[in-house]
Amino acid sequence: MATNMKSTLFDPLFENNPIALQVLGICSALAVTTKMETALVMAAAVTLVTACSNFAVSLLRNMIPSSIRIIVQLTIIASLVIVADQVLKAYVYDISKQLSVFVGLIITNCILMGRAEGFAMQNPPVLSFVDGIGNGLGYSMVLVCVAFIRELLGSGKLLGHSLIPTVNEGGWYQPNGLMVTSAAAFFIIGIFIWALRSWKPYQIESDEA
Amino acid sequence: MSNPLDPEKLFGKGAPLERLYPLFEATETIVLTPGKVTRGASHVRDALDLKRMMITVVVALVPAILFGIYNIGYQAHWAIEHGAEPLDTWQTQLFQLIGLQLRSDSILSCFTHGLLYYLPVMIVTGAIGGNLEALFAIIRKHEINEGFLVTWMLFPLILPPTIPLWQVGLGIAFAVIIAKEIFGGTGMNILNVALAGRAFLFFAYPAQMSGDKVWIAADTRVDGVSGATALANAAVGGLQALQTGTVTWWDAFLGFIPGSVGETSTLAALLGAVVLIATGVGSWRIMAGVVLGTIFSSGLLNLIGSSTNAFFDVPFWWHMVLGGWAFGMVFMATDPVSAAHSLTGKYVYGFFIGLLVVLIRVVNPAYPEGMMLAILFMNLFAAFIDYWIVQANIKRRAARYAA
Amino acid sequence: MQRDSVTYIVGFAAVVCIVCGLMVSSAAVALKTQQTANAAFDKQRNVLYATGLASPAAGLSREQLETIYDERVKPVVIDLKSGDVVDSPSFDPATYDMDKAADGADTGMPAPENSSSIQRLPKEAVIYQVTGEGGEVEMIVLPIKGYGLWSTLYGFLALDKDTTTVRGITYYKHGETPGLGGEVDNPNWKAKWPGRKAYNDQWQPALQVIKGQAGPPSSAPHQVDGLSGASITSRGVSNMLHFWLGDGGFAPYLAKFREQHS
Repeated sequence: MATNMKSTLFDPLFENNPIALQVLGICSALAVTTKMETALVMAAAVTLVTACSNFAVSLLRNMIPSSIRIIVQLTIIASLVIVADQVLKAYVYDISKQLSVFVGLIITNCILMGRAEGFAMQNPPVLSFVDGIGNGLGYSMVLVCVAFIRELLGSGKLLGHSLIPTVNEGGWYQPNGLMVTSAAAFFIIGIFIWALRSWKPYQIESDEA
Repeated sequence: MSNPLDPEKLFGKGAPLERLYPLFEATETIVLTPGKVTRGASHVRDALDLKRMMITVVVALVPAILFGIYNIGYQAHWAIEHGAEPLDTWQTQLFQLIGLQLRSDSILSCFTHGLLYYLPVMIVTGAIGGNLEALFAIIRKHEINEGFLVTWMLFPLILPPTIPLWQVGLGIAFAVIIAKEIFGGTGMNILNVALAGRAFLFFAYPAQMSGDKVWIAADTRVDGVSGATALANAAVGGLQALQTGTVTWWDAFLGFIPGSVGETSTLAALLGAVVLIATGVGSWRIMAGVVLGTIFSSGLLNLIGSSTNAFFDVPFWWHMVLGGWAFGMVFMATDPVSAAHSLTGKYVYGFFIGLLVVLIRVVNPAYPEGMMLAILFMNLFAAFIDYWIVQANIKRRAARYAA
Repeated sequence: MQRDSVTYIVGFAAVVCIVCGLMVSSAAVALKTQQTANAAFDKQRNVLYATGLASPAAGLSREQLETIYDERVKPVVIDLKSGDVVDSPSFDPATYDMDKAADGADTGMPAPENSSSIQRLPKEAVIYQVTGEGGEVEMIVLPIKGYGLWSTLYGFLALDKDTTTVRGITYYKHGETPGLGGEVDNPNWKAKWPGRKAYNDQWQPALQVIKGQAGPPSSAPHQVDGLSGASITSRGVSNMLHFWLGDGGFAPYLAKFREQHS
């Protein structure tokens, strides 16, 4: 059980990363990663909501009628997301303003539905909770890596602190404007997947014949 | 025969420098005619191998390269004669050290000045791109091929003359790694490699890749001299601005206008087109498609008209001599790897490039130039066009058979 | 009870809905005051940034900013068309949403023709008066918005009590290209504004963003440096100044203000 718990928690980081291997949750990964600050808050929100929704769905898994199970999962996820959105608006208003609709769009983040349907419906609550944390962390890791590169190269800053003085502020660094656009996140995630699959070649999909 | 310098002993299987075999192979085949013959069963051979094909493209590029170099100097000198200041760069210092005059009527002076800007860009492109290419060849254990040669020649021609060298290096690195090697190397790329590098720089460093300060190698921030391209003027003032401006249609056709290094002269691009079409290396079908697409969409916009956007009125013969239209059509759209392959598909592919370039130029307020984006966009659709043509063919034949 | 019987399914769905509904609504109710305060503070802060009484770089705490705001700034509701001050407005100016009001059938009206893509205007607008040490009005802060290249820019323009000298400008929301049009956020560019004149001698809106560099306010009172490489955003800024300083915008109010204070 202990190893099971451990692999449930850590497998989603590299072995079975929701973004890199399952390619889920890409849209928000593009939108909120121009800055570390927003990426961290988004990552925390997704991790917590995934864990809680997994927990709740798992608790109810033997009671949910299978004909309406998807809509029940969706209701639970949606409610949790709205609560998360309200909390962010109340306590970290600036960041929630920058995250704008993307907190609300966690509802449509495939990671949540995927874990609820694919894991929580078959596993006990605590393990499901850990699975949610693990997948949230896998998502967070990619998000934070992407945001790190984008904020540093795109504006010479990290967490809002100027690290490389940019030309506009009298320094030498010419910020890379591409990094601030969503396209950069595609490139970075693509390179991340390339690197990960060079490291762990078994993740390469076989050709569909 | 035991020659101590026998390359097989140095670079062959199990030899000390086996990993560097691609470097050896590249040098050997480009300098010598290797005596090796095919040992396998397949013996289809064409004199037009990749190497000859690429050389043909380079030959076709020569007029554009020479005129481009001259025009860098000519534009700078012309601006300086009209009140602009020379740039505060090492190029200016070196030029003055040589002792030539900043005069626009001296071909030698213009060409030399232009060379001071062109050569560093070309050298950086070759050094960074070529080494990356060799690196991937060594890691992936394949031969270095000539695909990069054309990219190398094209890339400096589609950049503004004042581009910082570190951006050149970054752009070509992006082009080689992201646009080509990720997809498997030469022949596997979806996008035109040189254009992908340009697009990267365009979005990453717009201040050095667009606007009205980068096209002339002189400081034009003074009254009386405009550093804007004729295309940018047309975007603001439409046909009227073109007719009343200092640039005539013939100036634009011959190439005496500011712009990216190799793109300004429509004539030079057309000379290249003659070489490419005569040797069969470039597809005339694609070029014809681009011409038709441009005439169609600019004609349509002329008919629609617009009270707020004067660019609607610009006719196709102006579109064809401004910006990168001619250069893009001849050298980028015809790139055999990223274009459509089926014969009908080539017309369709070219037509949509022509259609899109005018639409992007006229309707999108942010990008006065649309050739790069139009070609890249259609690169993505090339495979789909081919698929569609093949499916249509299959259906037609099936119908004929059934009937 | 059978898990796939209709009664069970309906009952289960109802219970889930009620529980989730309770959870969501209690969170919303419990956090409402906090959120409204945040939104109001966000606006106050941007008003202060426009006036130059505070700047993002100075790193003042929320309490400090609120203190400055409470001491110096007073929101004033005006009737946009007539320019009259509305003494007892029917809403709280701190939480008034002008965009929402503009869309309302009773609270909004169609905008006169403009180049800023503004379709509707609120009948009543909130502007801010900044008072000096002695309580006299020192500055007027006007909310402005208008279309740039990709997006609508939202900001505040601070004018001196002479209603023409610019004291500062700030944009707090836009989606322009970072590095080009996005440079409206650049403190160096904003620093070019104070001292310029919004109106010419005939009280026509004259301030505009030009291409290239304008020089100091003394020699170019009506011009501001263009944003390098962003001619369309620059034009958007000019257009919105022209609109909001004109008769369709705040000109009637500013004219009445001048009458009363001279």
